[in-house]
Amino acid sequence: MSYAYLFKYIIIGDTGVGKSCLLLQFTDKRFQPVHDLTIGVEFGARMITIDGKQIKLQIWDTAGQEAFRSITRSYYRGAAGALLVYDITRRETFNHLTTWLEDARQHSNSNMVIMLIGNKSDLDSRREVKKEEGEAFAREHGLVFMETSARTAANVEEAFINTAKEIYEKIQEGVFDINNEANGIKIGQQATPTNPALPGSGGAGGAVNSGCC
Amino acid sequence: MEFLKSGIKTVLGSTEPGQQPSAAETVEKLVDRVYSSTLLEDRRDACRALKALSRKYRIEVGAQGMPPLVQVLQNDGQDAEIISYALDTLCNIVTSEEFDEEADNPAVSVNVGEQFTEMFIKSPEHVTLVMGYLDEYDFRVRRAAIQLITSLIANKTRELQDLVLVSPMGVSKLMDLLTDSREVIRNDVLLLLIELTKGNSNIQKIVAFENAFDRLFDIVREEGCSDGGIVVEDCLILLLNLLKNNSSNQQFFKEGSYIQRLAPMFILNSELEDSGWTPQKVSNFHCMLQVVRALVTPSNQQQVVNACQRVMQKSQLLQALCDILMSSGVPADILTETINAVAEVVRGDHDNQDELSRVLAPSQPPRPAIVVLLMSMINEKQLLALRCAVLYCFECFLYRNSDGQRAVVQTLLPSSTTDVSSLSTGQLLCTGLFSTDTLANWFSAVAIMHTLVENVAQKEELLRVLLATPGGQRPITLLEQCTNLMQQERYRIQSKVGLLMLLSVWLAHCPSAVKALLDTQGTMAYLTAQLCANEHDEREYLVQGMCAFLMGLCIQFNDNSLANQRREDISQLIIKRIGQETFCNKLGEVSRHEAYSRACKQPQIRAKGASELLLDYEYCKLYKGLEALIAKLVSGFDVDGIELTELTLSSEASALVAQYKGIIRGMDGQIQSLQLSNKELEDQNDELKQQISQEQSLKSQLADQNTLLKAQLTAAATAAQTAGQEQQQAAQPQEELNAARYQANMYFAENIRLTKELETLRQQLAAEKQRADAASQLQLTTQKDQEDLLELLADQEAKLAEYETQALPANSEATSAQR
Repeated sequence: MSYAYLFKYIIIGDTGVGKSCLLLQFTDKRFQPVHDLTIGVEFGARMITIDGKQIKLQIWDTAGQEAFRSITRSYYRGAAGALLVYDITRRETFNHLTTWLEDARQHSNSNMVIMLIGNKSDLDSRREVKKEEGEAFAREHGLVFMETSARTAANVEEAFINTAKEIYEKIQEGVFDINNEANGIKIGQQATPTNPALPGSGGAGGAVNSGCC
Repeated sequence: MEFLKSGIKTVLGSTEPGQQPSAAETVEKLVDRVYSSTLLEDRRDACRALKALSRKYRIEVGAQGMPPLVQVLQNDGQDAEIISYALDTLCNIVTSEEFDEEADNPAVSVNVGEQFTEMFIKSPEHVTLVMGYLDEYDFRVRRAAIQLITSLIANKTRELQDLVLVSPMGVSKLMDLLTDSREVIRNDVLLLLIELTKGNSNIQKIVAFENAFDRLFDIVREEGCSDGGIVVEDCLILLLNLLKNNSSNQQFFKEGSYIQRLAPMFILNSELEDSGWTPQKVSNFHCMLQVVRALVTPSNQQQVVNACQRVMQKSQLLQALCDILMSSGVPADILTETINAVAEVVRGDHDNQDELSRVLAPSQPPRPAIVVLLMSMINEKQLLALRCAVLYCFECFLYRNSDGQRAVVQTLLPSSTTDVSSLSTGQLLCTGLFSTDTLANWFSAVAIMHTLVENVAQKEELLRVLLATPGGQRPITLLEQCTNLMQQERYRIQSKVGLLMLLSVWLAHCPSAVKALLDTQGTMAYLTAQLCANEHDEREYLVQGMCAFLMGLCIQFNDNSLANQRREDISQLIIKRIGQETFCNKLGEVSRHEAYSRACKQPQIRAKGASELLLDYEYCKLYKGLEALIAKLVSGFDVDGIELTELTLSSEASALVAQYKGIIRGMDGQIQSLQLSNKELEDQNDELKQQISQEQSLKSQLADQNTLLKAQLTAAATAAQTAGQEQQQAAQPQEELNAARYQANMYFAENIRLTKELETLRQQLAAEKQRADAASQLQLTTQKDQEDLLELLADQEAKLAEYETQALPANSEATSAQR
């Protein structure tokens, strides 16, 4: 259960683009064709390995509906990474990206890593947004881009892991202040859960972080 | 008071002597000053005076003062003092707390604070304004703002929650205050958050997202964990708010390894036995146990419960809880709640149930903890809540635990060679069942009942249990004894209810138990008499309903193996002696009783008084599932024993049967076609084999010819040689030699030709062989396919048979009715 770092993610984007399905595919490795509308926010978690280090991802999957927008805004600030998702078969979800991005930039900390995701790449016959358009948008706004399919699991792992890599690199470069938990990053406590005398202290103990040079 | 008056005088200037101004007039003047004074000092003084008046003259200040105070908040933000006065005044106005100063004022009604709250939040920007002052670092301002918001939330929770949610970063800002280095602020924020998170899962999630679990555990640790003061309790209450009925947060709590941080807090230090438990420690501990239960309570999402149960075992939280169970000096209510917590931590989790069964009490000789707990359950002197908790714990221990159920039943069987001196669970439960304490009867009956839930094997095993009779006559079965006890007058209603539940669960889905019951003396007569009786009170109605249910089970699960006690015999008895309508009416009594709705709510046994203990959750579940079936069954019989319902199978069942028939028909067709093609292939194979044997014989002929030719050739060659020698010696005529040569050449050519032919034949043969091989392989695969299909068919037939057995009750009704 112990980890070197813990990253907090949020998944944002229009309703019905497949945010919950992406999360389910990533955490449970399964696809649910019929998914209820997310109410507010749901939580999921998984451990990954980067550079030989265990990294825990805690992911908050937000509701895409406008009605929940004020609730989901509360999650921007504390997140280290965001997956901004649109649906390649619905042009309007791509058109709304600017609004989402403005919202995210306004409420989040400036270092938050944003990954642009064009989901439902398995439905190529119904495609309305070209891959090049996604790439162009990402380039223009300085995002990382990827097309995924929550149904076939194509690129789903990569999307989450690449975002984590990006954050990890930023930590190594010293961009993130890792001692400020409001950034959505936590340093792992070399947890000793069975020891009653020392209930896991704030433990910034020099376990990690050798990113000086 | 004099001081106050003089204070006001200094502010307002002296009034004419002998004319005391009314409170309303004073407030009006002050409000005027706040509005119109140009000097900040004047406004500040007026605000201070308003604050002083607001406790005694709440209505006057509230009615007139709100707009000017809001104006102060809007305009005088740079002066901390005036802002703190304004916020304090507003807080006094809206609080639901009643001040000592206004105790004798009849105009102050109970909900005056609530009404002022409503007025204040009518414009949402007022709330935003106050929220803004949370950013102010000044102690007085920040604290006053926190307290005002807390009061507002306490009065109008829902509305304020919505306002905080839409205010930008509202919850996040509040969470930031939790890290304020000034303890007073931090503690006040805790109280605010407790109010704010009540029953609003969106806010709960945001608070958790903002690292609340970390913060709270940090504070709890700093304050000394369970030995800490009221702040620890506040933290735990907030934690509880965040976790209760919020599966997202529960998952986050588990994933964030917070259970591991909770677990060590349950380890009691050794000095506690001597020093005793302070009231604050009891409160803290109670909250901690509530937190555990919030994670694993049966109404949570099953996967969350399972995951948390696993972690609780691995983190040794379960072990710590069991240690508390077995240590001395623990206050009764903590012990009770610990038992409840253990119950829910083990419920349905096999490993945890195992761990509980292995816990030993530090007694001489050491006894299993479960035995010690059951001893308290049947002990009249124990507290009711504790006894209920033990039963709940026992039920959870047996829930989906067929091994545990078997182990308990085994202790009752004669074969088990247990030491006479050591008490077994079975013995204890029997003692309770036959004791004179009504509650012990009830508890024991329900406990035994839970060894049988969804476990037909144990229902049959329990039939073998024999009890020695005091008179030394023939031993009597447990079931018989139960029916005897039920019929005794001295056995009280609560005990009877317990027995009826035990018998009902026992008989359900177990025809041999039905048979055993029908075999006992007088039971059916007793049940009939109960159902015929009329003049009784409400609790008797419940017993009657339960009797009807038991009788219904005797029909539903009757295998017709007893003459005169077959399904239709009992149905006739009901028709002729009780009447179908009456029977169904009485059957419905169970679900109409208030105990039924109470028991259905949750598996935990909750009772304010001993008399409330009547029905059990699992019994109600069984009843719910079978009531309609029994009612339909009984009303379906005619006076002449002809069943009226036309369809013996429900529409759903017949649809399923039809579906299976279709599948089987399809399979049959497939098998036939495969058999046909298989036969064709076999024929082909035969043909090919024949061809091969022909080719082989041809080949051997050719080989023979070949050898013959070779022999001839060598003969010819020797002949030629001798001819050559003869030519030298005897000068034979050239002609002869030429002829011989020619012949030799011819033979040679012939030989080459034949070899070639042989070669082609060999090739042909190899090709044929290959074809034959391929054919036989094809045949093999076909045979395998055929076997698979046959297997599949058998499988389907078994399924169909199984399904038909399931539908048997209905089917057999039909046949019996037709007969």
